[in-house]
This record gives sequence, C-alpha cells and structure tokens, in this order.
Amino acid sequence: MDIKIEKQDNKTIVVLNGRVDTTNADQFQQDMEPLMEGENPDIEIDCTDMSYTSSQGLRIFLMLQKSVNARKGKMVLRNMNPQVKEVFDITGFSNIITIM
Amino acid sequence: MKLDIHCEMILDEYREKLPVFKKLKDIVIKLLRDRLAKNQIVVSGVEGRVKTEKSLTGKLELKGFKYNTLDDITDILGVRIITFFSDEVDVISALAEQMFEIDWENSVDKRKMLEIDRFGYMSLHYICRLPKAQYHDPEVPELNHLRFELQMRSTLQHVWANMYHDMGYKSDVEIPAEYQRNMSRLAGMLELADEQFSHIRKEINAYRRNVQSLVASGNFDEVPLNGDTFRSFLSLNPFKRLADKMAAINQAELYDDSLMPYYNVLRNLGMKTIGDIVRMRNEHSESAYQLALIQLAGTGLDILAKSAALQNLCIVFILKHGFGAAGLVRLFAALYGDNTYNAQRADRLYEQAKRTNII
Repeated sequence: MDIKIEKQDNKTIVVLNGRVDTTNADQFQQDMEPLMEGENPDIEIDCTDMSYTSSQGLRIFLMLQKSVNARKGKMVLRNMNPQVKEVFDITGFSNIITIM
Repeated sequence: MKLDIHCEMILDEYREKLPVFKKLKDIVIKLLRDRLAKNQIVVSGVEGRVKTEKSLTGKLELKGFKYNTLDDITDILGVRIITFFSDEVDVISALAEQMFEIDWENSVDKRKMLEIDRFGYMSLHYICRLPKAQYHDPEVPELNHLRFELQMRSTLQHVWANMYHDMGYKSDVEIPAEYQRNMSRLAGMLELADEQFSHIRKEINAYRRNVQSLVASGNFDEVPLNGDTFRSFLSLNPFKRLADKMAAINQAELYDDSLMPYYNVLRNLGMKTIGDIVRMRNEHSESAYQLALIQLAGTGLDILAKSAALQNLCIVFILKHGFGAAGLVRLFAALYGDNTYNAQRADRLYEQAKRTNII
C-alpha cells in the first residue's frame, strides 16, 4: 500500500493506493497517528485507488474519526470504489464515517 | 474636574493594586469555570473586568467623599455569571457561597429590592473574598484580602441591564420619564419571559421522566414515537440480541455508534409508536440476520457498528413492504445523504434479497 500525505490550507489530504490489510495495517496506523493530534483536524482521504480494507483498516479509520470528532473537525472519505464501499456498508461503518 | 487629595490617594492605591486585581480576576474566573464544569452546570457566560482608571476617576468625582480607602470600593473587580434560566441564579449563588467568603452586609439581592408594582434591574450581587482554601499565593497575600463583586443574573436580565446601562445608567443621566416607563414595561415582559422559559423547562423535564417510566413499563403501543421516546427506548438496548447474533458470524467486536440518525428514517417508514418499532424488530430480525449472514460470512470482518442491526432491519422492512430498490435509495439518502453509491447499493441489495428469498 502506498500512502501520500499533504497539507492543503488547513486540512490534510491523504491519498491511499492499494490494499489495507494485515500485512500493512501497522504501517498505515503509524502513518495516520500524527494526524490524530494537532490544531487542524480536518482530513480528506482520497480512496480512488484503495482496492480493499480489512477490519484492521476499519479500526484505524475509526480511530481517526474519533480523534477528528474530539477536535471538532471533519473527515471525509472520497471516491471509494463499490467493493470497498460495500465493506463500510455491511459493517455499519457508513453510519460512523462520512463517505462522499 | 480635578480630584481632591483624598481621592488622588485612593487613585494612587488603585494604580498600585491594579496588577493584583487583574490576577485575582483570572483566578476567580478560572475557579468559577472549573466548579461549574465539575457540577455540570452550563451557563451563558462567565466574564470579568477590572474597573478602568477613567471609570474610577468618574466615580470618585461623583461620590469620592463616601470612601475612606480603596478597600471601601467593592466593585474594582467585577465578575459576572450569566445563566440561561432565572431559577439557575439561586443554584449559582449556592455554589458561590461554598467557594467564597461572602460579605453579607454589602451584598444585595436586587431581585427582591423592587416594589411589587415596579419592574427594572434584577440581579444578585455578592461582595466576596477569595479564601485561602481556594487559592493562596504567599507572595501575593492580598489576593485573599481584596473584595470583589460577583453578579449573577439570567440572560434576559443581562440583556435588559446591558441596554439600560448603555442608554442611561452609564452616563448617570436620568432617562426621560416616557422612556423610563418603556424600559420598565420591557423589564416586566422579560421577567415574564424568564419565568415562562423556566416553567417550560420544568415541564419538559417532567415529560421526559414520564416518558422514561412509560418506556420502562413496556407498554410500547402507548408510547408515541418522538425524539425523547426514541432516545429512552434506545437506552433499553432493543437491538442488542440481533447485533450480538450478527457479530457472532465473525466473532466480531461491536462498536457502539449512535442510532439516533434512524429516528427520522423510522418516522418516514410510518412508525407512529415505539410499539411499531418493536413489531418491526420481532417480525424481521430473522431476515435481517439472514441478510447479515449473506453479507458477512467468509469476509473475516471482525468489527461491526451496532447500527448494522437496525440498518438491516430497515432494509428488510422496506423490501418486504414492497418499496423495492427505490425505497432503499430513499433510506440510504436519509442516512448518508444523496450520493452516487446509494442507487448501486440499493440495486445490489435488491437483487441479493430476491436471490436468497429474503423477499
């Protein structure tokens, strides 16, 4: 999995490429941890090229969402492919995370 | 106007003590905010100001003869707590009495000073000292000696006082009688409004307690569906059994998310009472579980939001009542907003449900 993180104005843009699964969830979490603190909580995650997420990925998205909520920010996941969106839907995570 | 030597001495004393008053202001405001938070009391505002030299000079010009020293002027530091409801002023004053030493001789309850046929300034003023038990700095012992004024009033009392202050009181110029009468009429109206707000709040609290006992009694058909009753119903964890069963498919952890977004969905599905929701749950839980089995088995997804249970119940209800894929699109739009995924997901689910005899 490839992760690109960049700051744009007051928000962070994350671009995910590939699968989030057991082999790379730890790395994904480490990369996301800096985004769970700081003054600019808004995060936009581009999922165009994310091909899959496992439960570990869902847990990391949940941690991110909670940290964003605690700082009164907004997090949006964009351009998810239908297979990945299905994972969020059937687990009820679409009720927790904003997907556009 | 030039001040006499006596007033100049008071002014010198003020300049010398100004930094201590400023420090006292910050300490008192912080102590009050912490205590309010600890007691879970939400107020409209806590604010404070140290009288400016200009303002003090004005006061000394008018009535400097009344004061022997600066200590006789009790409002050099003024702190104000503005509550939302007038009946909360008494709660706040009880807290203040616990926190500060009150100089009762100089404290006034202006709410009780007005004649029964007069309407005007309503506020509770305490003259206080900061006890050592609350805060003590051996290098600044004066923090515990200086007096300050604590004003407590409701938001509407505050609005009136601010307007009055701005229009007349501040300049100490008597407002012409016709305007004074209008200000009094406004004060009467705001007092009435304050009382009504407190009354409405009490009634709503009583209603909520009643709803909780009605829901707890289990007479669900007698409980109309509204935001309060739905919240009370959710506190019974009514979808737990289905959620647990769905979680068991992959030995999943359940994440406790909010089900309140489903309130409008259930209303739109025609639910009128909590009993209607209970019937939906009882009639469709098995199909909702079957749907989860089709979706989750073999995926290894071992985390589920609790809302997945109610989501599946709504999906099954919609399909079994013949609302079809269009009904599902409306459901998803209500929950997640209009987006391109809704129609795709609705079509997929509709086909899946037909294939597996859920409908």
